[in-house]
Amino acid sequence: MVTYLLRRLGAGVLLLAIVTLVTFLIFYVVPRMAGQTVQQLATMYVGKAPTEEAIQATIDRLNLDQPIALQFWEFIKGIFVGATYNFGGREVVCSAPCFGYSFQNYTEVFPEIVARLPVTFSMAIGAGVIWLVGGVSVGVISAIKKGSVFDRVSMGLALAGVSLPVFFTGLLSLAFLVHSWELFDTPRYTPFFEDPVAWATALFLPWITLAFLHAAQYARQTRAGMLETMGEDYIRTARAKGLPEWKVILKHGLRPTLTPIVTIFGLDLGLVLGGAVLTETVFSLNGIGRYAVQAIISQDLPVILGVTLFGAFFVVVANLIVDLLYAWVDPRVRVAG
Amino acid sequence: MTTTGTGQDAAGPAVLVQDLSITFPTMDGDVHAVDGLSFEVAPGGALGIVGESGSGKSATSLALMGLHRGTRARITGEIAVAGTDIVSASNARIRQMRGNDIAMVFQDPMSSLHPQYTIGNQLIEAYRTHRPKATRAEAKARAVEALDRVGIPEPSRRVNSYPHEFSGGMRQRVIIAMALMCDPKVLLADEPTTALDVTVQAQILDLLDDLRRDLGMALILVSHDLAVVAGSVDEVLVMQKGKAVEHGEVRRVLSAPEHPYTKALLGAVPRVEVSRAQRRAEVRADRAAREGSEAAEAAVAKGERQEAGAAEAAAAPALERTGATALPEADAAWDPDRDPLLSVDNVRMRFRVRGGMMGKSTDFYAVDGVSFDLHKGETLGVVGESGSGKSTLSRMVMRLLEPTEGKVVFEGRDITHISERSLRPLRRDVQMIFQNPYSSLNPRLTIGDSIGTALRVQGETDGKLIKRRVQELLERVGLEPLHYNRFPHAFSGGQRQRIAIARALILRPKLVICDEPVSALDVSTQDQVLRLLSELQDDFDLTYIFVAHDLAVVRQVSDRVAVMKKGRVVELSDSDSVYEDPQDEYTRSLLNAAPVLDPDEAREHRAERVRLRAEGEEAA
Repeated sequence: MVTYLLRRLGAGVLLLAIVTLVTFLIFYVVPRMAGQTVQQLATMYVGKAPTEEAIQATIDRLNLDQPIALQFWEFIKGIFVGATYNFGGREVVCSAPCFGYSFQNYTEVFPEIVARLPVTFSMAIGAGVIWLVGGVSVGVISAIKKGSVFDRVSMGLALAGVSLPVFFTGLLSLAFLVHSWELFDTPRYTPFFEDPVAWATALFLPWITLAFLHAAQYARQTRAGMLETMGEDYIRTARAKGLPEWKVILKHGLRPTLTPIVTIFGLDLGLVLGGAVLTETVFSLNGIGRYAVQAIISQDLPVILGVTLFGAFFVVVANLIVDLLYAWVDPRVRVAG
Repeated sequence: MTTTGTGQDAAGPAVLVQDLSITFPTMDGDVHAVDGLSFEVAPGGALGIVGESGSGKSATSLALMGLHRGTRARITGEIAVAGTDIVSASNARIRQMRGNDIAMVFQDPMSSLHPQYTIGNQLIEAYRTHRPKATRAEAKARAVEALDRVGIPEPSRRVNSYPHEFSGGMRQRVIIAMALMCDPKVLLADEPTTALDVTVQAQILDLLDDLRRDLGMALILVSHDLAVVAGSVDEVLVMQKGKAVEHGEVRRVLSAPEHPYTKALLGAVPRVEVSRAQRRAEVRADRAAREGSEAAEAAVAKGERQEAGAAEAAAAPALERTGATALPEADAAWDPDRDPLLSVDNVRMRFRVRGGMMGKSTDFYAVDGVSFDLHKGETLGVVGESGSGKSTLSRMVMRLLEPTEGKVVFEGRDITHISERSLRPLRRDVQMIFQNPYSSLNPRLTIGDSIGTALRVQGETDGKLIKRRVQELLERVGLEPLHYNRFPHAFSGGQRQRIAIARALILRPKLVICDEPVSALDVSTQDQVLRLLSELQDDFDLTYIFVAHDLAVVRQVSDRVAVMKKGRVVELSDSDSVYEDPQDEYTRSLLNAAPVLDPDEAREHRAERVRLRAEGEEAA
């Protein structure tokens, strides 16, 4: 078990290192390989009207004319110990962990991300719980009542959910539920600790919209898994013991089905934590996804890079948690390692 | 014995089945799985239900547990278990009875336990469902006691283990312990030993017999093998196509069967006391008789076929030796009549078992120094239990695995380490028939393609010739040429194994390795396939390596027998001396564990096993 944990942990750290390297290569090396000169690359990081001096200053500041290995070293160093940028005599400190510095807004990227975390977290966790619980319950009921009206309707809805993009369902719910029928107020984020009720009401529509998309997939997967599990020999054993049917289903049938569900849940949650771009944009929630969109529009490369790294970080961590959960869910993993 | 439940007549039968019919509605009309079945089992009595797959025996045992509920099966008649009618009882009542009044032991111990819960959890659950007032500690104590009763060593520690930490035999013991948790009045065992090795099978049957006597439970033992039930039951019920064709006291049924089906079934059971020579003579005599009677009516058709066969035979030699030059130069002195076709010299196969911290690995020898010679036309039987290395050995002879040490010489050529490319011509000379006819045929290929592919791989391009040869072979193995375009799912297990045989023989191999070719088949199908293999050996001058765990089957087909244990050959001799005068202790214990048809002899064997086990425990 300890071996398994250590191995997974080691793999996670390695993966993060690789992700960092690849991200760095994409932003600093690939453009050069595609024929961009150092000056052109620097132009993208200047952040204001690119004068000759400003470009040269940027090149110096980011060491763009130095060997790539050194640049990467500086980049890594920035993450761990911070970096100092020189703006014509004025020193700007990007404290550790420095995921970049926006030269357009003169802000550090990391604190900006941290400031937006509560929004993204609130949305991801809330939607995650809804789509996991909702999707799995619908899947279980559909599997047990296979062929029933409930099964057909919910699987039809699931197909719709998988197919309809967030900017469609989200806008529809805004248009009808908020503006036409005025069932909800316009979502406006309130921190949880200020007013939990306002927090929940504000996030309700984004949750549902995001959850609808994912729940569909979970319902379908749960249904398929349950149908398979319920045909296993050990289900017959459980029935032969005289267990009540609900216990056969929930204890013996659901657990093996949940194993693969846990895997995709970790991945999906990691992705959403890295920024639910569409949902946050549709509902004007100022989370990491929206931050990324704004950065992309204004071509603020350090921000894009920082958010990318951060998103990757969440996916890797989520994966790690899934691996650990796996060992808990399925005892055979503990031995196989 | 605790008495629970309500309204039972203590003196009445434990199980009473009257005029039971089970019907499954299907697209093609109703299937009558069970049709007018009646029997009864007294408290503490034991009944064996014997029949082949599709005879309705499993449908019957599921009906006894009320497990058809919720399916589309229609059940009529009466099933009374401990005085309660299962057919009409409420769902709640049925649940109360399951595990409490009647408990079941299933066929496949590998898949019948939930892989994600400890066995303790699963045992405790069985107890507390019926004893809601019992505390967890009480239930756990009970679980430990039950595990101890079924012979699980260190039960108080093992109760916290997961199923994957047990071997197949141990898992079956756990399932039996689960069945014992609430002291049921009836224990229903549906093919409890089919998936197990011979010695483990004997242990499980001994355990069931012992429990039945100790706890006064009624036992219903369902099996396709008469020899399995012979030593454990008082009465036997033989089922065929949903009907009981014979029912009576076990000695009477086995010694003087009345119904022709029972007679046929008894005749098909491989007997460990029948020697290779007797069996061969019998098969040849049967064949001569059969072909004599067929000859007259089929003379015309056969003439045509022989013509075609002659044409094909003329074409064959050209095909036969293409690519043979790629083989390493044969030993010039090799003489097919004098020297062995295959010579295996002290081969070992090492597997690295990874475990512990950071890729530390230990070596494990699946085959550890095995040597034998095999001459043309001979059959070498390899017997051993799972894990003995017999499959690894056959894979090395096939060169699907490269031996770690030692030498494999085929027709005087050392093939131990030659490359995959130069092996290709060898592939036509050495073929394999696999154990599971259900998974060894590609479900998406027609059987014609499955069989013909080998010819294509070996360089044959004439589609018509391939088709003709495949169809001839299909006919030779007892199928129809028309089956060429059908898919495997349309065939039964026995037919599929015939297809697998045809696939192995299409290239006219010299050596055929049969890896448990009949262990997945019913007794009578088994007999047919064995006869076919024997006939084909005569016709095509084949040499067999016959790997199996069933001692009786191995004796009937083998000239010589090698007994394997833990990667080594403990005994290798001609089959009659291995069976009649075994030299090794392990061979003796295997022979003692083999099921026999005579109930008295079976009981003697059991007494002997119990004595040996007691001695072993005293010594330890």
